Parts: sequence; structure tokens; C-alpha cells
Amino acid sequence: MDHQPLSSKLASLSLISQCKLKDILLLCGDKKDLIIDPTLIKPLERICGVNWLRQHGIDKIYKMDPQLSSTANTIRVYFIPACILKYKCVLDQIASLLSQNPALADLKCFHIIIVPKVLTTYDSVLESKGLYGIVKLHTFSWELMALDEQLLSLELPFLFKQLFVEQNHSLLSSISMSLWSLFHVTGKPKAIFSVGKLSASILDMLEIYNETYARDFLDTHSSKDIGALIVIDRNQDYASSLLTPATYSGLLSELFNINCGHLDLNVKETKFKKGKLNFGSEEEGASSKNTVMTLDSSTDTLYGEIKHRHFSEVLSVLSSKAKLLKNEDIKALGIQEIKHFVATKLQQVSLFKQNLVNHVLACETIISEMSNKFENLKLAETEMLNNRNKKSNFTFVDEIFGTDIHIYNSLRLMCLLSLTQSLTYDEYNALVSKYLLAFGYKYLYVFNNLINAGLLVQPSSPKLSLNISNLGNLSDRLPKWQNEFQSNANKLKQLPSQADKVGAASPSYVFHGGYIPLVAVLCNALLTSDTLAEALAKLSAVTDLRVGGTILEKFKDGMQTLNEKLSNLKLQNDLEFGCKDVRSLAKVLKSEPNKGGCFPLKPKTILVYVVGGVNYAEVAACDVVQTNTGSKIFVASDCISSGADLMAANT
Amino acid sequence: MEDDDYWNTSETKAKAFSFDDDVLSTQEILAIGQKSYPGQKEESIFSNVNITTVKSAAVPLNSLVSSKVLDLILLAQSGKDPSKETKLEPVETVAMTLKRLTLGRSCSLHVHRSMKSKTELLDGALAIGDGNAVLTVVLFLIQTLNKKLVYELLSSRPVALNHYIAFLQNEGKITELTDLLTMLGRSPEAAMYQFQHAVKTQGNNIDVLFRKLTNLLANHFNQPGVDQHQAKMVADYIKLLEWQKHINKPDLKYTSVIQWLAHNCSHHWHEGAGNAMSPLTLCQRHQITPLQYDWVVLNVHAKAGKWDIVESLFTKKDWFGRTTVSSNIPIESLVARLHELRGSTQLLATCVNRVASSDDRLRLAHIYKIHSVVIETLAKQKDRAALTNYKMTLSPQSEEYILADNTLRDNVSFTNNQLLFSLFFFFRVNDMSYSETTLCQPNIFSFKVTKLTGAARFFEKVITALQEEEKK
Repeated sequence: MDHQPLSSKLASLSLISQCKLKDILLLCGDKKDLIIDPTLIKPLERICGVNWLRQHGIDKIYKMDPQLSSTANTIRVYFIPACILKYKCVLDQIASLLSQNPALADLKCFHIIIVPKVLTTYDSVLESKGLYGIVKLHTFSWELMALDEQLLSLELPFLFKQLFVEQNHSLLSSISMSLWSLFHVTGKPKAIFSVGKLSASILDMLEIYNETYARDFLDTHSSKDIGALIVIDRNQDYASSLLTPATYSGLLSELFNINCGHLDLNVKETKFKKGKLNFGSEEEGASSKNTVMTLDSSTDTLYGEIKHRHFSEVLSVLSSKAKLLKNEDIKALGIQEIKHFVATKLQQVSLFKQNLVNHVLACETIISEMSNKFENLKLAETEMLNNRNKKSNFTFVDEIFGTDIHIYNSLRLMCLLSLTQSLTYDEYNALVSKYLLAFGYKYLYVFNNLINAGLLVQPSSPKLSLNISNLGNLSDRLPKWQNEFQSNANKLKQLPSQADKVGAASPSYVFHGGYIPLVAVLCNALLTSDTLAEALAKLSAVTDLRVGGTILEKFKDGMQTLNEKLSNLKLQNDLEFGCKDVRSLAKVLKSEPNKGGCFPLKPKTILVYVVGGVNYAEVAACDVVQTNTGSKIFVASDCISSGADLMAANT
Repeated sequence: MEDDDYWNTSETKAKAFSFDDDVLSTQEILAIGQKSYPGQKEESIFSNVNITTVKSAAVPLNSLVSSKVLDLILLAQSGKDPSKETKLEPVETVAMTLKRLTLGRSCSLHVHRSMKSKTELLDGALAIGDGNAVLTVVLFLIQTLNKKLVYELLSSRPVALNHYIAFLQNEGKITELTDLLTMLGRSPEAAMYQFQHAVKTQGNNIDVLFRKLTNLLANHFNQPGVDQHQAKMVADYIKLLEWQKHINKPDLKYTSVIQWLAHNCSHHWHEGAGNAMSPLTLCQRHQITPLQYDWVVLNVHAKAGKWDIVESLFTKKDWFGRTTVSSNIPIESLVARLHELRGSTQLLATCVNRVASSDDRLRLAHIYKIHSVVIETLAKQKDRAALTNYKMTLSPQSEEYILADNTLRDNVSFTNNQLLFSLFFFFRVNDMSYSETTLCQPNIFSFKVTKLTGAARFFEKVITALQEEEKK
């Protein structure tokens, strides 16, 4: 099973998702209606088509709508994400159907498929509404989707909000599950690393799956496809999300809605415009149907060529492509050649042209909406990163809040300033007041959510600091980020000293040479180390770094099962089942620097999994590391999200 | 095709003006991309690209995973017990329960009745980190222990507490949430959760929202420990709601202060301070900063095409009859916005002229193509070469072109830079080699050197030193 290249295996993961769905649909009776939540349509299209659904008993398909009354068939299969409000909405609909026709209760005709997982509380809700036994719940944990070459996503955009804002980790096991099934296809990587608490839990749960479902027919050899896995929590590197990207794909995600790899080319109403206050006069035109661009290099080679480029280079690439097209002008051909052209190349060329036109339109939109403020924004961001000119940075942000304020991007700037240079009590409140005047006082809670997510640090009021009830949180509220950001980033060499002089060979070009995303630093350290000790030394400034995989197995004093682990668990809070804190390895590594024998990595392939959403700039930065080290880096996440998406999750 | 023909075809003619490695403009690229070939229908472009068909079947399923593995994957998804292990062991240990919870298998927690095993369950679930298990255990504890005991357990386990908070919040059980947080001494947070719940659920009913928030402010936001500024924001919210109730304009019910201000500016501009709908009254009531006020006024009136109001507000005549700009909006932002709003060039020029630094002024004038300012500034800088170059970029015989031309004719003095260069070359021509003269622009010599500035004197010294060295 190893003959296929990894990328085509990953592209075929949808076949496993298909089987999983088929398995569920078989339990739902013969002829049925599918009622689907609109957000799930695009992901489902990546798993199966309408014809496939027909073959598996789906007669009619409806969009989920609370007002939906009668449908064609008695059997209803609802298909929703694991969101309690949507779930309750479905249950209400079923209850009202039952009140009209009580006989339905005995027909076992209600099914709800929940992505990625049915939670225990869902069962209790079902029971409390008296629907237990009438409605059947099904877990559908679809596999990672290959959106682009080397880019995988679980397409669960609501996960960041749950995991980091609400701090509700109920769906965390779904990520473990997706890794677990992935490793059945690729084999288990020898070296496994986690950065952050959630990532550590994911590895622990992955180990529980491994232990529970250990079977003699499973391949226990380590992976020939993936040398190392890194799982990292989003909150370990918020800066990469908050900064404005400089790459083409990064800027696309700033302006356009991208859902499941499909970009909605709405050049009139961009995310930029929509987030700002509109001072009347412009009447909103009827929303016309926009072109949809699929951001996939395998179908759009042009996109593959420009996606990671610094935006300043993109137009010249497009221009050279246009010239090539021009040279292929059909007028210069004879009749026979034209026939041949039409038969073989015409379609390809027309597709290429269409892509070209779309990319140019997108570029034009980026230029017209951003060019004005881009330079100043870039400058301010770089100054913040390096903790310089705090006063003028604040003035810059404050002026934006007072004038051309954006509902998400302005917040994002405030968060960046707060994390890199910290805000005083008065500065903080000045920004909050302006924001609330602009968008409504109702958004007051947003700032609390941002604080909970660790995106913003609330400065303590001078009057409050001695309040006893607050003492417990006091250490959190002190401006501990002051310079901590820079000192950490400097230790990991994330801040190039001269941002202007950085070439495309530094991953920092994705942020105008100002900052290297943590994922790129991690990958680079692993790919350029000859021993485990060397890799860990390079990453000693990374907080909460853990190791797992074969390295850990060699450490285990005999095999310790989960049961033993749990019964030995005293008051210590970490399970350390799937991974182990690096500090506890220090002694062993002194005598045996390459414990586990994973370094240098073989194969030179890394899978990075960002928990809470990865962004295009990070993907581009990994691409640079990959080129510099002659390796392959696959990036996976629960969704692809921009800084604005992160802010939106707090509202 | 003959060479001559080639140069005369219409296609190449247009191109002949640009060098081959020049970048095409976006319009040019679009023109090439949108030109269709004979026999090609527009629709075919879209209908033929079906991504799902392209993507499928890269690797067939059976070479991806074996059928046994596939069965295992399906089993794991379903959360069912493997057929071999169906017999439930009579005594469930804490570890077994936790494992079943994590795997999503059905299990009953009710065998765990002692306080010890309940605590172990909670700590085990937290150690594993599966939120689903954590919440399940917490809810089980709530069912089977008295509240005080549960709260004690939760108060020292923040992760478990967060899960319970998120649960109560999602379930809309705000009273319970408030009790919990108050008991744990975290009433400021409770106040904020209540606020969030109130605005999210009662957003469509101003009267109810008003009542709830008034209540909240009186009972929760005035507690010790609550942030003063937060309390003030809630009070301001209530003030706004009260006013909105009073005015009762259905289409404006839920808008923000700034949106109200925009409405008042366009509909009640001439109402003076003290009047309910006057923009100034609103500013006072809600402490709108002068910067925000100026911004709104600028946008509202410019978008409505009332440029006379904009000009009268942002410009004034000084004693000498010159027009100057006065605004709280920093000048660069003001110019940028005026340009976006398509303000008159004259207004833009007035603004840019207020920029003190001539370099900044020149930069802005270049960006927004305010020719008069560019020409004037260059003339003031006495940069003849730059002005000559700039003239070339203007379309001949246009107003700007003539202005540039006249300015060039009237101003024949030199800049310091050019003076230095001419001096430099002058000396070199005389004392070193004549070949250097080719580097000089001929017109440099046609000007008289009138006076030497400090820098030039320095230069003179350097060159004298060089000459002396050469003599040795």
C-alpha cells in the first residue's frame, strides 16, 4: 500500500468519508429525504455527489430551515454540525411534526447525522424532550479533506470558538479521531511533537484510540510517508493570525469569503467593505451571482504558481502568462492546426484564460481596497512586533478606531498591540469606547471573549489592583506580555533584524520580513537537526513542548496501559499518555542524544496540524522551509481561517 | 509574414510602445484573457469544470486501506462495542468508564457512588482532556451531589468549571450560571455573561432589553470588583436605549451611536444644540470624540454630494484670504478619504498644501495626482530636473502642462544638489580629465553660479585637498 504517492493518498481520503456516510445511510431506511444545514453543502460536495446520494436512498434534498414543513418522504435524515442551537432547532421541528401526526413516533423515521460527533449532552437533551427512541442520532466524523496540494482541512470552522473562546473541549477527540484514521493510510510517524495543552490532549486521546483498537492485522511499522507530526494549539502563535499577510492567497482570504477551498469572487462587496460603517447613499444592489474560484493548484496551475508569492510579484507573473497566451494566438494557425487545437488544447486554454481573468480581477480588488493603507499598516505592525514606538503605534490604532474602523480588522490590530506592547488601562478603554460607539454597545461582551481566548490582555484598573476577590486572577491580569512576546520570539529567531532586507528565502516574507510564523520555526528545527537533543535545544524557548511517538515508547518502563496510567494518576494533572514533557527527558538525552532514533528525519516529510485554524501565510512560510530544506511539509487544520475569522468567533 | 507587415498589424502596433519585459496593465491582461476563440461558447468554461469528477479516484479505496481496517474505522465512528467484547464486566472501574466515555461508547456513570470515585472520575476526565467526558462527569456530579460539594470540586478545577460555564451559557441557564459564579466570588464575570445573554436573546425588543439592562446595572454592575469603565458602558447603553424608545423610529431602532449620528447629520443637520435630534446633542450625550464627529460629518455629506457643507466645515479663510484646512482628522487620512469620496482637486490641493514637510507634501501630491501641488512644491524646491521630468508625464497642452511650462520658464535658479554636481564636474573638467564631461548634462553649464552654500563650500575644500594631493 505504499506505492502511491502521499499526496494522491490524501486526496483519496474522501473515499473513506464516503464509506462512513454510506454506513450511516444504510441504517436510515430505504427511501428518505436529506435535510442539510447550508454550511455543510460544500464539504459534502467533496465527499460525494448528488448521484451518489441518490444511489444510497436519498430521494429529495432540502436546505435546513426552521420553517420547513412537509417533505416528499416520511423518513427524514437531518445533517447538521455539532452546534447545540442547530440541534435544538431540528428537535423542535421534529416535535412539531409529531404533534401534528403522533403516529410518526413508532415509525423510526427521524435521523440526525451530526458532524463530527454526537456529544453525550445531546443524548440527554433528546431524553429531556421526550424524543429518545423516536429520533436516532448518528456520528459522522468525516476525514481530512485535501483542499490543495499539501493542504488538508477538517472543515469544522466553529471549532476555534468552542475550543478557545468558550474553552469547551467537547469536540477535541474528533481531531484525534481524524489523525487516527489518517495513520491507517499513511502509517504512524516515528516522531510526534505537541505544542500547547490541547495538542497534548489530542495525542493522549490518539493513544487511547491506538490502544483500544490495536489489532493484529494493523501495520505496526512506522510510516514511510510521514517522518514527523507536529500538533500545535492556535493560541501558541496568535501573532501569525493577527498580522496582515503579504502573500497572494493570504490577501485573498482577507477580502473574500473562502468556504471549503471555494472562493466567492465578490468584487463589489468585499469583507473589507462589509465590515465598515456605511454612511448611506450607496444603495445595495441586488446580490448578483458571483464567480466561484476553486483554490486548488491541481485544477488551477496558475493559482499554484502565484498562491505563495509576495503580492507585489503577482501581477507581473499574470502579465507574463497573458503574453504567452497571446503568442498562442489562433490566427497564426492553419486549418489543420486549428482543428487539432480545438480538439486537444482549446478547453485547457479556455480554462486557463478564465482562471487568468479571475485572478486579475481578484488582484485589482486587492489593490483598490488595500493599497492606500497598506504601507502604514505594514509599518505599524512591524514596529509593534519589535516593541518600538509604542506611542505612535497606539496613535495609529486609535486614529483608525476613530475614523475608518472595521468590525474585525480593527479589533485585530488592537489585539496585536495588546499582545506585543500591551495597553494601559486608559488606552484600552479609549479603544473600547470608540468601538462600541461605532458598532453598538451590545458588543461589550466581545472584549471579554477576546480576553478569555488570550487574544487580548485586559489591563487592571489602578483602583482595582488591591481588590481581594480579584486576587486569584491578578497574576493573569498583570501585563505579563510586556516584552515577553519579543523575548520569546527573539529566542526562536522569529524577528528578523532588518525587515526590509529579507528575501523570499526567509519564511518571514509572508509578513513583509517582519515575523516568522511558529509553525515554520518548528518545521525548520526538526528538519535541520541530526539528533533529538539538537532539535529540542533549538526549540527550548517553546513553551509546553511535548514529544511522543516511538521516542516515548522507548521511555516507557514496560507498556503502561491507560488503566494503569489512570489508576496511578494522583493529583498531577497531566496524563502524559500519548506524549511527554520535554523537560523530563533532559537527563536521558544527555547520555543518549538521539533517543528513539528518529533524527535526521526519514522520510523528510512533516505533517503540521494546527488546532484552531491555520492561515495561508503560515502555509506559505512552510513552503519556504520545505524548499530550503529539500523536504515536504503537509499542513492540516480544522479549518483555514484568517485573522478576521478569529475575531468573528468572539462575537 | 514580412517584417514590415509584422510591425504594421494592429496587434503589435499597440504593443510597440512598451518594451517586452514590461508588465501589462490589468486591463491589458483582461483583454487578452477575455478574448474568446472561434467555436468556443462562454458557458462551456463553467460546465466543463466539475471539480468533484476531477478529484475522484486518485487511489482506489482498497489500496488505501484494507477492508478489515475499514471495518475498524467504521466501528470507531459508530462508538459501538466490538462484537467480541459485548459482555459488560460486572464491576466498572473508574478507568474503564473514562475510556468508554472518550471512545463515545454508551455507559452509565451511576455505579460510581462514593465521593472518592466521583472525584477520580472528574480528575481522570480532566487528565485525558476530552471535553465531552469532562462535561458528562460534571453533569453527573450535579445530578448526584449537592451543589455546595460540586462547586467546591469545580472551584479548584478551572477547566471543568469552564466546561460547565459554557454548557450553562449554551443552555441559556443564566440564573444558575450567575449563582455559580457569585458563589465562587466571580460576580463581575457573572454580570458580563448576563449582559451577553440579554443582548443576544432580547436584541429584538427594546423595551425588554431596556428593563433587563437597567436591572443588571443596578444589581450586578455596581458590585465591588466590577470594572468602572464596563459599568459606564452599560449605563451609556441604557441611555441610548431610553432615547431610542423616546424617538421611536423603527428603522433605526438597533443602530449604534455613530449610525444615529450619521442619520442625524443627514436629516437634522440644521437643528441646533439642545434639540433632541441635533447631531451636537448626540455628541454631548455619548461623548463622541471630535475625531469621530468630523469623520462622520465628512462621510455623510460627501456621500450625499453636499460638498459645500464639507468645505465650509473643514476649510477657512485666513487673514490674507488664503484657504486653509482645519480638521481633527489627521491630514493624510483626510486626503486619502477625500480622494476615495472623489472630492474636488482643489479641495485636495488645499489639504495637501497644509502638510508642512515638503517631501511629504510631494509624496501625497504624487499619489493623488494633484498636479498643481507637485509643480508648486518642485518649484519651491527649485528642482528643475524633477519638474522637467514631471512635465513630460502630463498630457501636452493640458492646464497642468502649461502651468509646469510657465513655472519652468519663470524659475531658473538652481538647487543645492545640482550646484554641488556642477561644481564637482567643473573642477574635474578643469583639473583632471576631460572624459568626465560626457557625464554632465550640457545644460548644467548654461547656468551661472551665483552663490556657494555651506555644503558646496565643503565640497570645494575637498576638491582643493584632492588637487593639492595630486600636485605632490
